[in-house]
Amino acid sequence: MRYVHVGTRQLDFAEFYRESKDACLFAVLVNVGDRDVAQDLVDEAFARAWASWRSVSRHPAPAAWVVRAALNASISRWRRRRREVSLPEPGRIADRAAGQEAAASPLDPQIMAALTRLPARQRQVVTMRLLLDLDTSRTAEVLGISPSAVKAHLARAIATLRSGLIPERQQEKSS
Amino acid sequence: MNDDEVITAVREQRDKVHSHTSVDQIISRGRTVRARRRIPGAVTALAVAAAAGTALALGLTGVLGAAPARSTDTIRTMAFTLVKHANGTATLTINRNVLLEPGTLQSALARDGIRAMVTVGRFCSSDPAPAGWTKVMSFPGSPADPGPVRAVVINPAAMPAGTELSFGNFQLANGAQTSVALIDTRSYTCTSTAPTAPPPDGVMIG
Repeated sequence: MRYVHVGTRQLDFAEFYRESKDACLFAVLVNVGDRDVAQDLVDEAFARAWASWRSVSRHPAPAAWVVRAALNASISRWRRRRREVSLPEPGRIADRAAGQEAAASPLDPQIMAALTRLPARQRQVVTMRLLLDLDTSRTAEVLGISPSAVKAHLARAIATLRSGLIPERQQEKSS
Repeated sequence: MNDDEVITAVREQRDKVHSHTSVDQIISRGRTVRARRRIPGAVTALAVAAAAGTALALGLTGVLGAAPARSTDTIRTMAFTLVKHANGTATLTINRNVLLEPGTLQSALARDGIRAMVTVGRFCSSDPAPAGWTKVMSFPGSPADPGPVRAVVINPAAMPAGTELSFGNFQLANGAQTSVALIDTRSYTCTSTAPTAPPPDGVMIG
């Protein structure tokens, strides 16, 4: 019976991992800006999810748990190293992220820069709603805010993204 | 560029990023995570067995420096610290500036024999609340009007059968608040509205 139980857990986790690993990686990348760091944070967070799969699988949004665990670990790392390493500016973070991904599939540096420049709460809502595809009520539950606040933050974030992208896109067309 | 075009542009970027780590690699790393959780207990056992072996214990601590900040008596994460005392009680402190992982706190409380349900964005309570919550939780200030507190001392031995502690964590504009109440596991209701004051039969940490 024990082997059946373990096998079932691995099957459930494997399915969850396959379905959510790319979205979780991108969500963390948007927040930390470095492809290698994001990959390591997400791998560690998924490993922790596997180690606690019985409780994580009952979370209302396990992918959101993974992203949050990764970002909490990122904060912890940053606090340990802040006396040694200075963080780059958001624009440079986006450029680095885009450059590192360029070999496989080029990311749009303008969109990445616009995402990383969003205020933290708006970026959290964008992460949950647009990148992890959670609905409004689940996003509200995960972030501990009201559904109307989720809608308001998302609307502001999209407006900010649009205003940040239009001038640059227009410049591209005119040049 | 309308809203749908912005959303599509963002999602197009997401679809360009792929993780190449296999699930087997994740599971292997997960086993390391589990082993890492067990190491501090083993270190303590070795130190005790060595009696006056302070030097041995210090040596191992150096080798295992990357292990999480957890000993037999203390579990420390970015989000919370749980200290178990010799009399069986435990002191819980929650960092309001860090997002809480409910599963981690629930597991930590279970380690100390504290039956609990930890939720984020949701708070559950019983009406009427089980009697004796003031024997289960203690904190600075008056139990009648405690206000938000920084830490709470929990006595699991005082928890009546059929009860558990409900922790409801909410991320608010000025940081996190966690409401705690003793509930009857057979009868309770939950709300997604963040309490604005400590529950009448419990406490608010934050």
